[in-house]
Amino acid sequence: MNAVFAAVFVLSAALFLVSDPEGFLPALLAGGEKAATLSLSLLAAYCVWLGFFKVLERSGLSEKLSRLVYPAARRLFRSDDREALMLASQNLSANFLGLPGAPTPLGIRATAAFEKRGNRYASDMLFVLNATSLQLLPTTVIALRLAAGSSSAADILLPTLLATLFSTVCGVVLLRLLSPHHVRHSPSGKRVRRPAPRVRRLKK
Amino acid sequence: MKYFALVIPLLFLALFVFAIVRKIKLYDCFTEGVKEAIPLVLSVFPYLAAMLMLSELFERSGLSAALTSFLAPAFRFLGIPPEIAKLVLLKPFSGNGSTALLSEIFAQYGADSYIARCASVCYGSSETVFYISAVYFAGTGRKNLIKPIAVALISNFLSVLLGCFLCRIL
Repeated sequence: MNAVFAAVFVLSAALFLVSDPEGFLPALLAGGEKAATLSLSLLAAYCVWLGFFKVLERSGLSEKLSRLVYPAARRLFRSDDREALMLASQNLSANFLGLPGAPTPLGIRATAAFEKRGNRYASDMLFVLNATSLQLLPTTVIALRLAAGSSSAADILLPTLLATLFSTVCGVVLLRLLSPHHVRHSPSGKRVRRPAPRVRRLKK
Repeated sequence: MKYFALVIPLLFLALFVFAIVRKIKLYDCFTEGVKEAIPLVLSVFPYLAAMLMLSELFERSGLSAALTSFLAPAFRFLGIPPEIAKLVLLKPFSGNGSTALLSEIFAQYGADSYIARCASVCYGSSETVFYISAVYFAGTGRKNLIKPIAVALISNFLSVLLGCFLCRIL
């Protein structure tokens, strides 16, 4: 990230210097302004969804849902961390449904939880899944096409779905290929082989 | 499309009714969740600001235009219309920027043209990679993100290739 930031920043600044030195500061300020307004609208979305998720958690529903997907999620993320897996699978479902603003808080927490246990593979996987788009219905695109007077706004559904699916599969396969097999992380973060079964001593 | 609008209200309704049945104090619980919103936004803000300034510089300095014209022949060779090259380059940096660009493309070429359909598929099947990485890894202090970012960028690019090809045959 540091390299990308430095490269793009320096190159753009140099271009500004040559072509339009007065445009440099306004461009930065416009970025800052966007950050300020975007943060406000993110705050609004987070208020709605974090309230929703707290109710989901308290009602015991998210526990039930996570038990359902636990076996699959465990394999996908190579992790045994129940809490993090639950957040990650909620993040994925919010992505599928295209709930605006909902996946982000879940994704941030799940990433933090995976990283805390030193499970980089899991946080990479979650990021790649999110960054290759999982949304089933491209609602923004369809709305924009309708607004632009398209006669068949939904005819991009099939190619978009196929391309999205393809990019996600590519991402998962690439990441698996690039990640050395196979360290399962225990909840304590240590690399352990299965602990020897402890003989429980009966009282009396 | 019409039924899809039902998803979100139904989700809320189902959950809240379930919570009431379970005798959850809905108001207390909901507000407790909302409390976490401000710290979350605060923790993400610096990365968001840096990223958005960068994407503004990238566009306004002409760097994105220069890159686009530089890469156009390669893109054409791969079957990506040059008009879309800019979208492909901008999307990893900026969601808002690429949304604006998409509607510009619709206005310029007509929403049902091959170019517009291609652009729609590219937009719908890729994500704002740098933005997501900035936000998701913000709190972790992790520096080395080359692998996940490279994987995501490559996958997104491959999906653009496939998307443009599909638009030609479907």
